[in-house]
Amino acid sequence: MPSIMAQISDPKIAFAYLRPACVLLTRAPTVTNVETLSGQLKEVDDATLQQLQEYVLFPLRFVLKVPGPKNEKLVQTVAEAMSHVLEDTCVQSWETLRDLLLELCLCLCSPTDPGKPADTSEELKSAVLRCLDALLHAAYGDIVFKLFEPVMLPGLGAAISLLLALAEKEKSRDVQAAALKCLQSLTLQCDCSLEHVVPSSEERCTIGSTVASFLPGITVAVARIITGDLRQGHAVTIRAIKVWSRTVGLVMEDAQIQAGEPSETPSADLGRITQLMVQRTPAWVKSTAEKLSVLLRKIISCTSSHQHWRVRLEMVELDDHLLARCSQSLGECVGPLLEALVGAVNDEEPRVRKRCEVVLSEVSQRTQSRSSSDITSKSSSSSAQTFTDVLSENLHSLATSLPRLMRTSNDQKKLFVLNVFLGYLKVLGPLVSVVLNSAAHLERISKALMQVLELDVMDVRIVEERSHAATIETSPGSPDPYTAHTQRKHFLYFTDEKIFSALMEICRTLGYYGNIYLLTDHFLDLYRQSSAYRKQAATVLNEVVRGAAGIAVATDGHGLEREVRGHSASQEDLTVAVVSVMEEYTSLHNWHLITVSEETERDQQDQQLLSPAGLLSISNNNVSNTKANSLQVIPSSFGTPSPSPSTSAIHQLNSNIWQLCIQLEGIACFAQALGQDFRPILMTSLYPVLEKAGEETLLVSQAALGSMWDISEACGYRSLKELINENSDYLLNDVSLNLQRLGQHPQAPRVLTVMLTHSDCSLLPLVGDIVQDVLTALDLSYDHKAALFCSVLHALMKALARWFPSSCESARPKHTSPPKEVLDIRHFLLDLRKQKELAEGIGIEEDDTEDLEVPPPTDCEDVEDIGGPDVKAELPAHLCITKDVMERCIHLLSDPSLRLRLKVLDVLELCVCVLSERENELLPMAHRCWPALLQRLTADDPLAVLRAFRVLCTLGETCGDFLRRRVSKEVLPKLSSSLVRQAPVSAKAGPVYTHTLAYKLQLAVLQGLGSLCHRLDLGDADLDVVCEACLPYLSCRQPIRLQEAGRSVFQHLIQVDPDAFWFTLNELHCPSSYAPPHPDLHPVHLSGMGRPRDEYSDNVLKLLREEFGSVAETAS
Amino acid sequence: MFRPAPSPVYTLRGAGGPLNTLHFSCHGGDTPLLFSGSGKGAIHVWNLNTRRAEKIVEGHSGSSVIWVSTLQETDTLISQGRDMQVCLWDLSEGRSEAMDSVWTGSVGFCQCSVLETSPGTRLLAFAGQQTEEIKIIELPSKTPVCTLVPDAKLGMVMCIKLWQPDSGQGPLLVAGYEDGSLLLWDVTQRSMLSQAKAHPEPIMCLTFDITCLRGVSGSSEDKLSSWMLDRQNNLQLQDDVTLVNPGVSQLCVRGDGKLLASAGWDHRVRLFGWKKLRPLAVLQYHTDMVLSVAFSDHQDPRQRLLAAGSKDHRISLWSIYNEGADTG
Repeated sequence: MPSIMAQISDPKIAFAYLRPACVLLTRAPTVTNVETLSGQLKEVDDATLQQLQEYVLFPLRFVLKVPGPKNEKLVQTVAEAMSHVLEDTCVQSWETLRDLLLELCLCLCSPTDPGKPADTSEELKSAVLRCLDALLHAAYGDIVFKLFEPVMLPGLGAAISLLLALAEKEKSRDVQAAALKCLQSLTLQCDCSLEHVVPSSEERCTIGSTVASFLPGITVAVARIITGDLRQGHAVTIRAIKVWSRTVGLVMEDAQIQAGEPSETPSADLGRITQLMVQRTPAWVKSTAEKLSVLLRKIISCTSSHQHWRVRLEMVELDDHLLARCSQSLGECVGPLLEALVGAVNDEEPRVRKRCEVVLSEVSQRTQSRSSSDITSKSSSSSAQTFTDVLSENLHSLATSLPRLMRTSNDQKKLFVLNVFLGYLKVLGPLVSVVLNSAAHLERISKALMQVLELDVMDVRIVEERSHAATIETSPGSPDPYTAHTQRKHFLYFTDEKIFSALMEICRTLGYYGNIYLLTDHFLDLYRQSSAYRKQAATVLNEVVRGAAGIAVATDGHGLEREVRGHSASQEDLTVAVVSVMEEYTSLHNWHLITVSEETERDQQDQQLLSPAGLLSISNNNVSNTKANSLQVIPSSFGTPSPSPSTSAIHQLNSNIWQLCIQLEGIACFAQALGQDFRPILMTSLYPVLEKAGEETLLVSQAALGSMWDISEACGYRSLKELINENSDYLLNDVSLNLQRLGQHPQAPRVLTVMLTHSDCSLLPLVGDIVQDVLTALDLSYDHKAALFCSVLHALMKALARWFPSSCESARPKHTSPPKEVLDIRHFLLDLRKQKELAEGIGIEEDDTEDLEVPPPTDCEDVEDIGGPDVKAELPAHLCITKDVMERCIHLLSDPSLRLRLKVLDVLELCVCVLSERENELLPMAHRCWPALLQRLTADDPLAVLRAFRVLCTLGETCGDFLRRRVSKEVLPKLSSSLVRQAPVSAKAGPVYTHTLAYKLQLAVLQGLGSLCHRLDLGDADLDVVCEACLPYLSCRQPIRLQEAGRSVFQHLIQVDPDAFWFTLNELHCPSSYAPPHPDLHPVHLSGMGRPRDEYSDNVLKLLREEFGSVAETAS
Repeated sequence: MFRPAPSPVYTLRGAGGPLNTLHFSCHGGDTPLLFSGSGKGAIHVWNLNTRRAEKIVEGHSGSSVIWVSTLQETDTLISQGRDMQVCLWDLSEGRSEAMDSVWTGSVGFCQCSVLETSPGTRLLAFAGQQTEEIKIIELPSKTPVCTLVPDAKLGMVMCIKLWQPDSGQGPLLVAGYEDGSLLLWDVTQRSMLSQAKAHPEPIMCLTFDITCLRGVSGSSEDKLSSWMLDRQNNLQLQDDVTLVNPGVSQLCVRGDGKLLASAGWDHRVRLFGWKKLRPLAVLQYHTDMVLSVAFSDHQDPRQRLLAAGSKDHRISLWSIYNEGADTG
């Protein structure tokens, strides 16, 4: 093949080789002949081809010149062959260049109307365009400039208009791009990688003045292409931008225009051509600049928000090219050009941003150097001042129109405007503060920010979401601080997240460059002025402060006088500003906002306490489990929707919630801004934040929690626990003070709750102090605030139970059901004999080894306990506190409010848990609270009964004997008699019965009784009583849930004494008969045997199967 | 016409014991300090900017600290404990080293009184080993200056105050005794100048205003007794103020001579106008006896705080009657 074969390098051989094909082609212009020639051409090397260029081109051109309609395919192959030749050779003769140009143009235009492109195939067009491009690149430097002589104007014009038409109208992107590329080559502005002719300045001037004639046409058409269909693909758009910028840059070049037109009079023989010529006089320049600026604005608005970054990059290139070459002649266009450039400073694509920064710094350097030269020459009007002037002016005018733009334009336009605004701020750098010093402009800017940042507060869910105990009592070691979801803010006037971040960056940049005092004062004024602006102003303030500290501000790379000063606010200034803003935020009327409507609050709390989720599984009620239970309470599980308050009220609440959230975020921002210097401010700021962390509204408490994390990070604490522990003195100071003034500061208990939840026992010494305050305060206000205090006591006891895990959950072994292996009779008898012998004194000596198997006496530990230290040691602080709390619980147990009673029962249970390690302390307390507890067990609401059961169980585990007697004497008879009494009633009752109090009571008692028997280790007699009372509930006539509860009682009973209850159940119903293994043994007779299926059989069978499954099988 | 009762600006906690004595030092350096002596033998140095104990000095082997003060020209802390020692501490440059100590031999509760006579030398008055004995020594040489013992049996010395009168004569000392008597001593003459029976009960505390030569004393009864010195250095009793509840632990007159504060056994701090002893305010916060009160000596009158230390282990700081205060 030709590429492998050595190319022909001898012109004579080549001539001989090519001649037949050329001749053949001249005679018969067919596709095959052209292809033959072009195949042979590839075997000739470049230098030889150059010598034979004219000869080879002749037959090809001859084909094109043949009059009449031509075969498209033929023309295409010819064009391809010619491009091959032209790409490898140079065109040295002007005539060849001129004629080829015209011939190729003819191929493109339609034969009827030379101004329009022919309706030919895309392949043909692109082949011809390629050929044209190759021709222009092949033209020798000394002839190519002849193209721009006035004589050529018509021909050139035709070619240009043809190319423009192709670029605009053509469907194929490739042809469009190729046409544009040809245009570039035609004006000698090609930027491809091939070698190009470099025109001297005079030659440039000639080209410029010639192209000036076509400037309107080119710019208008190309602008149409740029702003045209977005779907045309970025390659075309980029190419078009290139053509536009190069053409304008060529014609309007400052150097050319300042040098002045060569004022030679056009020679007379040009005739009408002189009308086409353009003189670039100052007037012409001015009017052209005006027109161009119109086009430029169109182009900028279209491209600056173009989706493809290459287009935006090309736009930056355009700005660069024009600003570098024609900043003076373009006059009016400089503003829009800068604007576009400045807008691109914040481009999301780093390559665009980088290029833009380079361009901007070049621009500013250029203006500066120009100004310095101007100072010496004092001739020109331009100076560095003009550049910054233009920028400031632009900023001013943008600020003026900003409110209107924010109101009226769509998101995309807003984003563009904001980006431009931000760009100005960044480029102006420290000069921004000068602009801000103008009250009118600051006013404008802030108005615009206030308007656009207005929040949408319609979302009802925000008000309804409740945190309850769940979120604020997250386990302190929870590792993922930021998983707490932060609600997205919804804005009235935009939805795009990018706009928000642009706005925030604007605020930060303002803070960075502006005067922090001026800004905080101004926005604080707005904050105070009206509640309508409050949230927005706070948002702005937060970011301004962050910006002033230099957080998240991209400052490097541009800025006019960046060496003058880094950023404006010193740490002291910042601290002062932060303190003043904080004061405003946390002032009484801005911090203590209502976020919950009163009645819903009450409602929801009730429902939370009464919801069944909290009552699950009282049988295994260790501390961790109760916690789990309280976590299970999901707000959405409430069946009845709360009565919705009027919409306006909801708006108000929503607005309050958002305001609090923003202010909380603000505090976090300030902490970030100040870093370690924020620590002294914790004295005043931590308490309010914790106050909100205890808030019931989910959003607020989450925001507060997030804020706490940020603060602890900013101040160098490793965790919330550390933050709270280290600053507990500050917090407790306020807590203690406010506890004394509960009327004005009802949140103090909440803060304490949050502290307790997130801290550990190192807090105890200080807390012990406060607990006394709490208890005193409680004693002083039993009526009003008891519920509030109860939650504190609950949190406190929960914390104590966590800090001092006691025997109640860990040490005490759980009852395990006895091993179910079959008793080995033989072993038993052997054992018995051995014991007997031992008792009689036989074989004491020799049986020593076997004696080891005898379990050691169990009471030895007790003996040690009794012989303990005589001195009564001082009670540990946490036990003292627990005793004090328990004392209060005794009083509160009989509170008229059910809600409170339930809470108190919970607290009581925790108290018992904590105290369980000291029986000496627990027993007297248990004795004291017994009467009140008995009341709850026997004569209270079902809910209270159930919880009282739980307390009783916990108590039973630790108090044992003490409680057992009391329970069997005072509790069981009452409960069992009521169960027995109610059993026939419930068995007969209809479905409505399940809604009655009696039913709920029955259910509660049944649910609690089993675990009580189990955990209290009741005696046989008591178990019999319980069994007696519960048997009726195994009847299938009872309501399902009562049956379940009844079964659960038996399940517990079976664990206590499996044999006895196996017997009891079998007495009732026995599914199988038991044949004795040996005829000597009596046959087994159970009264349940052989009984027909009755109301009890289902449940009995179920129990037997579940509890004795394996036993039953082996026995039968 | 009454404003609601104010609440403390801040409470300092964590002292871990009853606070017998308080002393402000807001002159030197940029951080105002408060010294407190606790019943557990610890001296806390509270930084009033961070409101935290900056340093804890343990120097009296666990026995109660009953008096702390600072010497003006140096960073020297002087403390008196019930271990019968008066200790001097060097606190400069973050140190807390015991420099010197004086054995008093007194088992009572009488707080010392210190008087700077000339730069570098000072007189220290303290109750001695004998029941009625008051000893005065010169520091830092520890040379005894004199021992003052009254002729009559007056019981233990309860409180003393040493000062240098303007008239140019030697330092004077006023002392309160267990039987309720006040005695005025001339230190250089070692003679008693005057005597007055101010209270029927033991005098618990006294304070004396050098500028107007007036003093006031408190006792375990429900009266404050004020008295003044005439030209001839005679103690003259003036009007009494009756308190609601008996028992005063400490009295303190503010530096500008406008306010008198009393630390009451009834958990309250009472404020009086110093001129006419008009009751002005009752500060209620503590949950146990208030044992000590002190006024800040801060240069900015607005930052002059009142501190009260109580048996409930807390120190409360109050910003009282100092809004419109002028230096004049």
